[in-house]
Amino acid sequence: MKKKVFVATALVIAMAASLMGCKASDKQNADGVKSIRFASWDNSKDLEEQQKLVDKFNEAHKDIKVTLEAYGSDFDTKIAAGMGSKDAPDVMYMWNYPAYYEGLEPLDSYIEKEGQTYKDNFYETLWSYNKMGDTIYGIPVGFTTHVLYYNKDIFDAAGVAYPTAEWTFKELADAAKKLTDTSKNITGFGFKRVPDPYDFEMYLWSNGTALSDDKGNLKDYVNSDASVQVLSTFQNMEKEGIAVATDKDGTDEMLAGKIAMYINGSWPISSFNDAKLNYGVVQIPMFKEGSPSVSILSSSGLAMSKDSKNKDAAWEFIKYWTSEDLNKARIQYELPVLKSVVQSESIESDAIKGVFYSMLQQSEGYTPTSFKTQEWSEISDALSTAFERIFNSTVYDDPKTVLDEVAEQ
Amino acid sequence: MKRKGRLRKATPYLFILPWIVGFLVFTLGPLLLSLVMSFFNWSIVSKPSFAGFGNYIEMFTKDPQFYKSLAITLKFAAIFVPLNLIIALALAMLITQPVKGVTVFRTIYYIPAVVSGVAISIIWGWILNGDYGILNYFLSLIGIKGPKWLVDPAWALFAIVLASAWGVGTMMLIFYTDIKNIPIDLYEAASLDGASHVGQFFKITIPIITPTILFNVITSLISALQQLTLVLLLTGGGPLKSTYFYGMFVYNNAFKHHKLGYASANAWVMFIVILILTSIVFKSSSAWVFYETEVKEGKKK
Repeated sequence: MKKKVFVATALVIAMAASLMGCKASDKQNADGVKSIRFASWDNSKDLEEQQKLVDKFNEAHKDIKVTLEAYGSDFDTKIAAGMGSKDAPDVMYMWNYPAYYEGLEPLDSYIEKEGQTYKDNFYETLWSYNKMGDTIYGIPVGFTTHVLYYNKDIFDAAGVAYPTAEWTFKELADAAKKLTDTSKNITGFGFKRVPDPYDFEMYLWSNGTALSDDKGNLKDYVNSDASVQVLSTFQNMEKEGIAVATDKDGTDEMLAGKIAMYINGSWPISSFNDAKLNYGVVQIPMFKEGSPSVSILSSSGLAMSKDSKNKDAAWEFIKYWTSEDLNKARIQYELPVLKSVVQSESIESDAIKGVFYSMLQQSEGYTPTSFKTQEWSEISDALSTAFERIFNSTVYDDPKTVLDEVAEQ
Repeated sequence: MKRKGRLRKATPYLFILPWIVGFLVFTLGPLLLSLVMSFFNWSIVSKPSFAGFGNYIEMFTKDPQFYKSLAITLKFAAIFVPLNLIIALALAMLITQPVKGVTVFRTIYYIPAVVSGVAISIIWGWILNGDYGILNYFLSLIGIKGPKWLVDPAWALFAIVLASAWGVGTMMLIFYTDIKNIPIDLYEAASLDGASHVGQFFKITIPIITPTILFNVITSLISALQQLTLVLLLTGGGPLKSTYFYGMFVYNNAFKHHKLGYASANAWVMFIVILILTSIVFKSSSAWVFYETEVKEGKKK
């Protein structure tokens, strides 16, 4: 009897093994068509658009077949699992290079083949957000800088002049004081109670410091006087009642007319337009007069798996996806990354979109701490808890104490 | 002939083969893999490197968050399990009353158990909102200024308990079916002897359903220690990590910090904690759980 069980078990294991074995051989197609898997993090509406653009590529290239894989909110988990099992998609959207670069193909040699003019057509700042060290791992697809949004109706009702590019945070606070009206439940300014440290570093840059040194050491940077000054500025506005710390990024409060100003990327534009919100945008206020503010970039690029079997075909598709035509095709929901497209569509003179490009030019030459250290996700965790201690109205810890503590960790 | 006999003996195994494969590939395989992984440093993207007991040592000696998360989770279980049990039993008693329209209430109380965790967390996110949530609105009607439930670290854990207790329906239903099965003549005899309703509840109902209580204690203890969905969606571990449950700690180590080996070690430690707590409850059960068969056998002696 025991022997029978053994035979049965052996049979099961053999079957399981043969099941797994099936997968390995499906890469090579019999008719010589190279198949490329392309992973996107977008969902529903944008995906339909993307599928159309993928179909267009497949029609033009008879020897390559690209399949769009929609990972949606599971993107990170699936990419990580794919890299772990050497089964990552050939081409994928990418922003978190520090976490994944070891699974990605360096693209410098591919770019070199296309020539210097190809590379120069992309905004310089974008390249530094698509590389680790000196190696480029992604071709820019889209980006956003951060800007100050303001609700024109609230400004008009309070008789306050609209913000300008020359504003400092002092002027923002003055305006916020005039705009705050507790009887109407309106607060002048809003910011996240638990800021993403990646985003928040831009305020430190604007004030002449950073979260860390070149190697990612926080000490003497995150707790420098300039950093403390930044966090105190925000905390004081909140304590004074002229700013409110929001649960999420503040877009809901902005839409509901509960806050008059907030700082964000380009994401809410379409929902503001849909809601017919009467809003304007302007450069982020400065900390010191005469030293223009700096913005963090949230950028997306297209990267290639280093385990891809069809790298040439994958590069062909990446080139297509980042071409002028596609930048134009995405113009409704993505800020173009090519200078030629921005020029031909005269986007820089657009009252809304133009501001994002002027922030882009002001932000050249900064490297986020997340790109300098291997331990960013832990550091980021510690920092966001530290910031929360400063901004959580039930705690209001002293900025200097909190930042000193986090610098020692 | 011989071959036929062999085939006949193998037949049952062939029939259960799909389930055996399923068990090996989807349950036992991943389980063993996670145990093996817990002895490696593995950031998913790069190659795993052997670490021996390194992950376990780091957890117990170098990671303060491990103890904090464990404490939060145990605290949650200590509040949640008894509370949940009492509410479920009270509701079960209510819906066994022979009142008109009781089936409607039975359905209403069970509905939350059917709703997905994501929907529950969105609903409670609104209910608990400090500024315009309905809970604080009701509190303000009776003159109490409600706390900022999801912002104040002192209240957030209690808010999670509140939201979790909402899904009490399944447990209520288990109690309900058991109470329904108690023979009516027991109550009739007791009331003839002059026992009050309260007396009947403690002397008849409770002793008879102790096996069900044991079952519910264990299942709710395990689910309390594994709580993740609600904290992930309702508070994200905050404010100020006051609801950074153990499940969240494991999840973030694995999928945010990409320390898969460390997270596997975390998960196995929790498995052992659950194992110990469950066996304590089981051991204690001989003192307070009565089985019908036991009682009958005792009489025969």
